[in-house]
Amino acid sequence: MVIHFTCNGKPVTVDVDGDMRVLDVLRDVLDLTGTKEGCGEGECGACTIILNGKTVNSCLLYAGKLQGAVVETIEGLSGDSAGLHPIQESFLEEGAVQCGFCTPGMVLSTKALLDRHPDPSIKEIETALSGNFCRCTGYGKIMKAVVSSAEKLRDSREDGHQSGTGLGVKRG
Amino acid sequence: MEYVQPDTLEAAVSRLGRGGCTILSGGTDLAVVNRASGLKPECFVDICRISQFSGMELGEEGLHIGPCTTIAELAASAEIPHCLSQGASAIGSPQIRNAATVGGNICNASPCGDTLSPMVALSASFVLVSPRGSRAVDAETFFLGPKKTVLADDELLTDIIIGREFLKGTSAFKMLGKRKGQVISQVNAAVWLLLEDGVVAKVQAAFGSVAPVPLRARQTEAFLTGKELDAGTIHESLAYVKQDIRPISDIRASEAYRYRLAESIFHDVLKQAAGLACC
Repeated sequence: MVIHFTCNGKPVTVDVDGDMRVLDVLRDVLDLTGTKEGCGEGECGACTIILNGKTVNSCLLYAGKLQGAVVETIEGLSGDSAGLHPIQESFLEEGAVQCGFCTPGMVLSTKALLDRHPDPSIKEIETALSGNFCRCTGYGKIMKAVVSSAEKLRDSREDGHQSGTGLGVKRG
Repeated sequence: MEYVQPDTLEAAVSRLGRGGCTILSGGTDLAVVNRASGLKPECFVDICRISQFSGMELGEEGLHIGPCTTIAELAASAEIPHCLSQGASAIGSPQIRNAATVGGNICNASPCGDTLSPMVALSASFVLVSPRGSRAVDAETFFLGPKKTVLADDELLTDIIIGREFLKGTSAFKMLGKRKGQVISQVNAAVWLLLEDGVVAKVQAAFGSVAPVPLRARQTEAFLTGKELDAGTIHESLAYVKQDIRPISDIRASEAYRYRLAESIFHDVLKQAAGLACC
């Protein structure tokens, strides 16, 4: 079937079977290999993408569901800029990346959380990341990275707001 | 393969009538089963574009819940009885809850499905539509066994109704698994309670993962009805829980452990529904 959707801000058309996994559409058809396959049955979260603003497991999502949808993958996080997204920076700074296989999913679950709750509690962070398994870090550094990226994003929003109003003192 | 996304109930039912269809809702269970079996469906009828299938609405009979309402929406809802939102919150991970639907959880008919015991405790009514017409089935009689329901091949769950009576009162749900998150119930229980001056005017309870289908706890309910709900009554009621359930030993828990767990969980949900200090 011919499927039109938006991927990382750009319109995309693919012609695939409706029962192809979105994970395979991304990796094999669109060559977006940042999305990883871990367990392939919705347990580990390595294949997490953001679909219409919400995290889902792309290994359990059929391609037909993409019709008209808006998808964000790890490749789209920094937009058109060459640099890293503040969440990615924080993951590097805090040492929250070891083997790196879970990282794209962790980062996207973090982004979906911070888009909704710019100042999440530790419990909210734990819940938001409860569908993403990491077998290296023990999660401590990932939690730190989420907290630090939330601060960064709040600061940058504040800066944006202040520069807009001409008030401009940077917090912290 | 054919993948159709009807945007009306009529179009969906008409395609189902031609045969060879697998109904697709969120797909979180179906994708795992299909991949493991290697079977390629002839036709997916993806029902999630039918607008009346998503969301909740209060009507004359009670609260209507569309079958494609996501588990995440149920988990976040304050409109539905508390036991149902608690049951929804217990399912899978955020990613699963965002994609999975309540109709899918019901029609998948896993004995451990965490919205099933709330549906049975709340006497939910399921509206089923096929090319031959429409019928309403009580939650309690809908389930026939693990992954088996009364649904015919060409029949579609179109509406879930929680009667007005059950929007009053209080309710609670609890499940226990081997860890805190992303886990399947070893036992779950839901209770709905109507107290009048501290006395049980009406109570309905149901257990999951203790039999091939979610079970109403009728002997426990009969014992509790008309009694003052204090610590002594709650403790005494646990003896009836044992008579109401039929657990087996399997990969998730032993029969003996499930008996103990059922008592402990029922103790907690009853206290929670009654607003008594608890756990």
